[in-house]
This record gives sequence, C-alpha cells and structure tokens, in this order.
Amino acid sequence: MIPQKPFFSWVLERYRGLQALLLVLILAAVFLRVFPLEMQKRIVNSAIAMRDLNALLLYCGLYLSAVVSAGLIKYVINLLQGFIGQKILLEMRAQIYNHILSLPLTFFRRTPPGMVIASLTSELSAIGEFMGGAIAVPVINILTLLSFAGYMAYLDPLLAVLSLSIYPVEIFIIPMLQKRFNRLNRDRIDVTRTMSNIIGEAISGMHEIQGNAGYELENQKLGRFSSKLFRIRLHMNNFKFLTKFTNNFFQSLGPFVLFIVGGYLTIQGRFDLGALVAFLSAYEKLYDPWKELMDYYQDYQDSKVRYRQIMDYFNVEPEFKRLPEEDRQPHHLAGNIDVKDLSFMADEQVRILDQVSLDLGAGEQLALVGLSGSGKSTLAMVIGQLYLYNSGHVQIDGLELKTLTRMDVSHNIGYVAQYPFIFDGTILENLLYACQSLNLNGLGRERPLPGRQGIFRILDGIGFSEDILVMGLNTLLSPERHPEFAAKLIAVRKSFFQRWGAELAESVDFFDVNRFQYYTSIAENIIFGHPNRKSYQCDELPANRRFREFLKEANLDEPLLHLGQELAVSTVDLLKGLEADDFFFKMSPISADDFDRYSEIVDRLTRFGRERLPREIEDALLGLALRFTPALHKMASLSLDLERRLLQARSLFMQSVSRKEPEAITFYQPEEYLYAHSVLENVIFGHLRTEHALTNEQIRQNVVDLLAEAALLDDVREVGLEFAVGSKGDRLSGGQKQKIAIARALLKEPNILILDEATASLDNTSQARIQHLLNSELKGRHTLIAVVHRLEMVRDFDVIAVMKAGRIVEMGKYEELMERKGLFYELAHGPGEGA
Amino acid sequence: MNSPMDREKAPELDAAGKNRCELDKNLDILRRVPAFSGIPIERLKLYAYLSNRMHFRAGDFVFRQGEQGDLGYVVICGKGQVIRELKDHSILLNEFGEGDFFGGLVLLSDTERLFSVRAKTDLECLTIDRETFQKLFLQFPEAALKMVSVMLKRIMQMEEKLLQAKAEDFMYG
Repeated sequence: MIPQKPFFSWVLERYRGLQALLLVLILAAVFLRVFPLEMQKRIVNSAIAMRDLNALLLYCGLYLSAVVSAGLIKYVINLLQGFIGQKILLEMRAQIYNHILSLPLTFFRRTPPGMVIASLTSELSAIGEFMGGAIAVPVINILTLLSFAGYMAYLDPLLAVLSLSIYPVEIFIIPMLQKRFNRLNRDRIDVTRTMSNIIGEAISGMHEIQGNAGYELENQKLGRFSSKLFRIRLHMNNFKFLTKFTNNFFQSLGPFVLFIVGGYLTIQGRFDLGALVAFLSAYEKLYDPWKELMDYYQDYQDSKVRYRQIMDYFNVEPEFKRLPEEDRQPHHLAGNIDVKDLSFMADEQVRILDQVSLDLGAGEQLALVGLSGSGKSTLAMVIGQLYLYNSGHVQIDGLELKTLTRMDVSHNIGYVAQYPFIFDGTILENLLYACQSLNLNGLGRERPLPGRQGIFRILDGIGFSEDILVMGLNTLLSPERHPEFAAKLIAVRKSFFQRWGAELAESVDFFDVNRFQYYTSIAENIIFGHPNRKSYQCDELPANRRFREFLKEANLDEPLLHLGQELAVSTVDLLKGLEADDFFFKMSPISADDFDRYSEIVDRLTRFGRERLPREIEDALLGLALRFTPALHKMASLSLDLERRLLQARSLFMQSVSRKEPEAITFYQPEEYLYAHSVLENVIFGHLRTEHALTNEQIRQNVVDLLAEAALLDDVREVGLEFAVGSKGDRLSGGQKQKIAIARALLKEPNILILDEATASLDNTSQARIQHLLNSELKGRHTLIAVVHRLEMVRDFDVIAVMKAGRIVEMGKYEELMERKGLFYELAHGPGEGA
Repeated sequence: MNSPMDREKAPELDAAGKNRCELDKNLDILRRVPAFSGIPIERLKLYAYLSNRMHFRAGDFVFRQGEQGDLGYVVICGKGQVIRELKDHSILLNEFGEGDFFGGLVLLSDTERLFSVRAKTDLECLTIDRETFQKLFLQFPEAALKMVSVMLKRIMQMEEKLLQAKAEDFMYG
C-alpha cells in the first residue's frame, strides 16, 4: 500500500537513467571544481615565478574555461534535479490522491478537508523539492569535499590532516547543538499554540471579561505563557548563535593552522608558494560544499518528518478493491439480493444494524421505512457498498458483496444519496458523470454515452424538463456554436412581437432605441449594441480614447464621474466586512474581488476630496458608473435629466461610430441576435421586469408555446444542458440537485437502484411523479431499494420493511402491514389516532 | 419594431429635489414594520438592499396553500386576504394592508404554505427570500434573532386565532 512506502524508494526506484546522467555530470562538475586549483598553483609556480608569458596565458585560459564549464554544468544539474523532483512529485501526488479517493467514507467523516488539501499541495511540494536533489546534493558535495581534501593531501599530507582535523569535531558538535535547538523549537510551537488559544478565548468571551473587569486575570493567564515563551526564545538564541560561533571558530581555525604551519614549512623551503596559495583556496572552497551538506541534512530531516506525517495520516486500508486481481470483465448481476444476519457497528461500539435479513428477487421493489435513526439509511448504504459490514452476509446473485470490486459494484448498482453531490461544471457533465466513470473503469469496453433523446426521455420522466427549459431560456448562445439556432430565434421574436408586443408594454423593458433601458448597464444604454472590438467592451471603455472623447463632447463625463463616486461611496459603506461571501455582491456594481480597490478609492475621496483625481481613480469610477444598471443596483438612482441625456448620447454615439469605426459595434435591431443576452431576452427583445412575477410567468409560457410551435424546444433544452451549475451546484435548488442525481443514476441503467430518501427535497407533485415512474414504467427494469420518509409513497412497493433500532420489525405488503396494526400502522396514522 | 409603450412613471423626488434610490425607499418601508424595526439601521440597510419589489393585480394569488415558497412579503401598498382552503370551500381568515408582514415562516425553514394569500386590490410588496434571510442571519445573528422572535410571536397569535375559531377542520391532523 502507498502509505507504507519508504521515503527513499521514491527516489531510488525512479528515473534511473536520468539519475545516472546526473551522476556523470556531477563527476564532471567535481573535476572542474578541483582543476582550477592546480591551475592556480601552476600560474604562481610555473608562469609567474619563471616569467613565462605563454604559460601564463595558457593556464589562465584553462582556468577560465574550467570555471565557465563548471558553471554551465551546474546549471544543467540544477535543471535536471528540478525535473526529477517535479516528476517524482507528480507521481507521488497522483498515487496518494488515488489512494485517498478509495479510503472508507468514515475516514472522511473525521478528516477535515483542509488537512487533505494541505497534504497534497504545500506539504507534498516541499517534499518534491527535496526529492529532486535527494541523491545529487549529497553526492556532489561529498565528492567535492573528498576531492578537495584529496588534492590537499596530494600537496602536503601533513598540512591536509592538520587543517581537516577540525571537521570531525564539527560533525560531532553541531548536530548536538542543532538537536537541542530543534527540541526548543517544538516547545515554542506548543506554547505559541496555547497562547493563541488563550487569546482566541478572551476575544470570544470579551463581554464576560469586560463585564467582570477580568483584565488582570486574563493578563495573568497570558503572562504565564508569555514568560515561558520568553525563556524558550532566549535559550533558542543561545543555541543558534552558539552554533554560528562554533562554525565560525572552526572555520577560522583552519587558515590559522595553514598560515602558521604552511608558513613555517615554506620558510624552511619544504613547501612552495604556489602550493600554499592553492592550498588556501582549496581550504576556502571546502566551506561551500560543507554548508550545503549541513543544509541538506536539515532539509532531509524536515522532509522526512513531513513525509511520515502525511503517510501516517493516510495509512488506512481501503475497504474494497477497486479492480479485480485477474483480468476480467465486470460481473453482470441480475439483481437478486439476499441479506442474512447482517450487522454493522459504527466506531466499533454502536450497533446500527442488528441481525438484518431480507430476500429480494431481481426486479422487485423494496421500501425501507422507520423513524430516523432506525438504520434504514445505513442499510441502504451497506447494500450500496459504501460501508463495510462487520458480520453477516449480503449476497448479490450469490456473490458476497464484500468480495466484489468497486468496478463490479459501479456497473450494477446505482446509488442516490439524500444530499447528492453536484460537481462544478455543466448539467450535462453531471448527468453523464456515472456513465463516463463506467467507461473509464470498464477495462476498455466502452458503452456509448446516452444521446440527446435518451437524456431528454429520462429528464421528462422525472419532471426535470421544465427546469432544463428555463435554464435554456436563460442561457447565452455563442456566435460560433449556435448561429443557425440564433437565426431561428429571430423568427420567433417576430411572431412574439406581433402577438404580444402591444400588451406587454408595462411588463417588458423592450430594447427600444427611443427608450432608456433600466435593466441594462449605462454603457449598454449608450452603445445600444454588441461590441465586436474588445476596446468597446464595458470594462475597456474607460481606457478607450475615442469613447472618452465622445463622453466629453456629449457632456457626460462629469455627471458619470459623479455617479461613479456616489455608487462607490454607498456600495462600500453598505458591503464593508462582507467581502468573504460572493452572495452579497449579486446586486452590487462592485464585485467582491474589486472591493478592496474601491474601498481605498472611497478612503481617498473622503480624505483628499473629490477634485483633481489621479487618472486611474477617475477610470475606476467611470467604469463603475458605466456598469451601473438602474433596475438592479439599488444603492443609487439616475436623475431624469441624466437619463434624457444618455438617450440623446445614444443616437450621437451611433452616428459617430458609424462614421469612424462602422464595424466596431453591432447595434441592437429587431433582426439582429443579441449574443450578450439570454435566449428569452432575445425572443421578447427586452428584459422582463422582475417585479411582475405573475405576468412574467405568463410571458415565459407564451414564449415556450411559440418555441414549441417552431419545434425549437429541444434545442432550447439542449443549451439548457450546458447550464453551469456553479461550485457544488450552488446555482441549483435542492430539488434540482436531487433530480439531477436521480437522472444520473437512471442514465447508467443499473440493475440495482438504491434511493436513500432521494426525493426528500422535492415538492409533493414531483415526488409522486418520480414514485409513479419507478413503480410503473420502470418496474422490473431494476431491483429497487428505496428509503422512504413519506409513508403515502410506499403503497405500490412489492415489500415494505419497517425498521426500528437497527432491526427489521415488520415486513410485508402495504395491505398486510396495515392489517397487522403494528408499527407501520402506527407510523402511517400517527400515534394519536391509532388507538 | 416601434414602441407601443408610455413613458415611465416619474421617479419620486426627495425634499432636495434629488432622486431617492430604491435602497432608501425600501429602508423606509422596512423601518415601519415591527418585525424589522428592532434591527439596527446599518444592518437593516442590507435587508433593504437584498429585497425586491413585486406587483400583483387584484384577484391574483400571491401564493397558494401547500406550495413550497421561499419568499416573505411586506406590503408596500394595497390590501391582501389570508385564505385557508378546505376540501370544498375556503375560509377568509384575515385581511392585511400597508406595512404588514406575511408568509415569513418559510424564511426559517423549508415548509409548505399553511394558507393562501390573494390580492384584494392591486398589491405592491417588498419580498425577501430564504437564502438571503439565512445568509444575513448567519452574518448578524443578534439582529436577526430579534426579528425571529417577533415573527414567532406573530405565528403564535395566528395559531391562537385559528384554534379559537374552533373550526374542527383547523385542528392539526
């Protein structure tokens, strides 16, 4: 299993070719580091002392090229190291993530997501960085050290022994000091953590402290730890600087020995000057590899600790195999379910299922009912292989569920949770999630994904067609992908206007060139068209020189700047402190991301006044005013006068652009599709006024009728499938999420379908509709196990199992159970009336 | 396509002749409603910012009994009727008008409407939805709690009234 892999195996078992190349390069680099020392000696001894200019040039040339090539090779080594490290990181991350994904659900219940995220990102990155150099760094530095030492010994053995003798002493002393330092550092972290807890507690209980004047008491609490921290810090400094001192002391001891012994020997004539110079350089050069080795030692310790922490954390055995050991196709199960004496314990203490037995033939439908906490949901999850049972048997077509792989289960069982998860992406992606996963798990045997008609049939069955239609109506088309569809919609627009145009004056903000539009931004009101050039997009307008000149000519720059100031001040005042939640910015002209910037601007406005603003502030305020949409942004209003002037500016702008840059804007016209607006807005050629909720419903229905006449409904639904659901499906209602989850399971066509209160968030009509679909049209297609909360929904099930405290206490058909007048009867009638 | 529409109604002006923005107008309305009046003004501004206007024509149902709504309503102007629909007839329980707050129960939890509301005259309301209400609740619990307790009192009163009406059908079944 992944978490038991030793640390170094990642380095040693991978990229051996590259690592070998790295070693060759390292050898070359080490040689090129020592070589200049010999050149130094020869420059002094053979060239300068012999006054040989040619030799001087030769040796200097060799010296230079050795140094340059050493640098180049070092560069390549670094690149290679980084590459190997990142490659290992890539593989480690994939393998650990893979392992994590297969861990039992119970693991995730007690694991904070932040921990998993940090482990896979920052923690692992630090390890990856180290892994790259895990072999290269010690090898290159030890070799360098050895070769310098060797070269020194070749020059003079005695001197070498003397000057190198300090290193063993250092190797002994420094780790000792470091160890003490590390221990203190751990203490420091503990104490700091306690301190932050104390401060945190004080802040949340501030009213109690102030009410009781508990200042001194709190101060003392904190004081105890502050002084402890003070002492630890002092000790830490002591060891830190002692380490530094020791290091420096021994380092400077070296040259001292060299000068005194080497000097003596040279005076005595037993050593030449060139050798002494080379010796000194060699000694100085020892310091770098030495230091790198010490750093390496620290990094190694650090990475090892991190690695162990991560691995210990995830050192949990997955409960089920993902793929079979032998190469085979997934089992095809008919769906006979036989449960015998099944028990399930949570945390090895609480018995949630107790000796449950039931028998279900292929295609039969079972409803699980009971009070909450009776174990019905757990039973469904155990049969769905989401929990591992402790004792007893669950057999599907005679095969023990425990021994089946995930591949087998996912091919045969569809499970819908009460709170299904919807992934970020489009509706279509979410609907096909199960089918796509099957294809990736299916050992190369691909099933074709369901097509448009298949998807619509299922969505229609569960009552999701309406929702999809509404989403389609609210979608923006893209000129590249939907040009033909857009053309057809323009035809629908014409018939809409003929039939309803006159009646809807009050409810629709039409794109009428002679009227101001309250549901579009100021910029769109001026431009009244779709920008074909980036420089005419709303955000780019403040920087667009032509546009700015136009505003000046139309005398709009001052009033707009003023509007921008008003908006900035009131919005910042309103939403201060709420930046963390995008929700509050839905109806704000300033987005959560821009909020800080505008806060600073408002700050400036209040401190230095509103005159002579720097260019970038003016641009930002103008941009804000241009984004202002009167019907949406309630914090400011538009004066009638400005409204009139904006409308005048529109025709001026049209003339000026048509003259100067005719292709920059596609002006809104009844025969033009507006790609910046939704399908619905294109058909009605305007915006619905939000305040007329009921009329809007009617208008939407009229549009749908027209689209149906034009046989365009399926096309609208198809673009509806592209609706982006937002992170965790935030843009969907609870009911929509459940419908998508049910459709997702049905599209997979599993032989066993498990619904865990899968319709609980739906209204009665939708619930009844889905129940009816399952009990009639889809009856016999799959074995159905449904956890049902509302008892009026269970009438048509083949068997109903009533659970209480982890046991099945009654089982039978609806009528039988009602006749028995037991728990089911009581649940169905409520305790009061049963008696 | 030519414009068949009349000119928009002129916006309200304040004393200084300046336009008042919708947020300020909403704020004035909310401040007069008992359920909201306990909330400090700077918090109430957020409610005003996040609530929306809705128009209903006389006779329109604002919502029907048994629906899963998510909006609470404050009447800006007009009159509405609270109706309990029974199997074969319905009973007019109550009437309300300007400044009244109704339907707020669904803001607290995802429940069905216990009664229907119909516009007696043209009705203009300010609405707040559950998500907004709950976001604000989490953000500023103290302010919202005051409001909830006022709402709960209202619900209690209504329940009391229903029980007193002694109609057998009103009993919880």
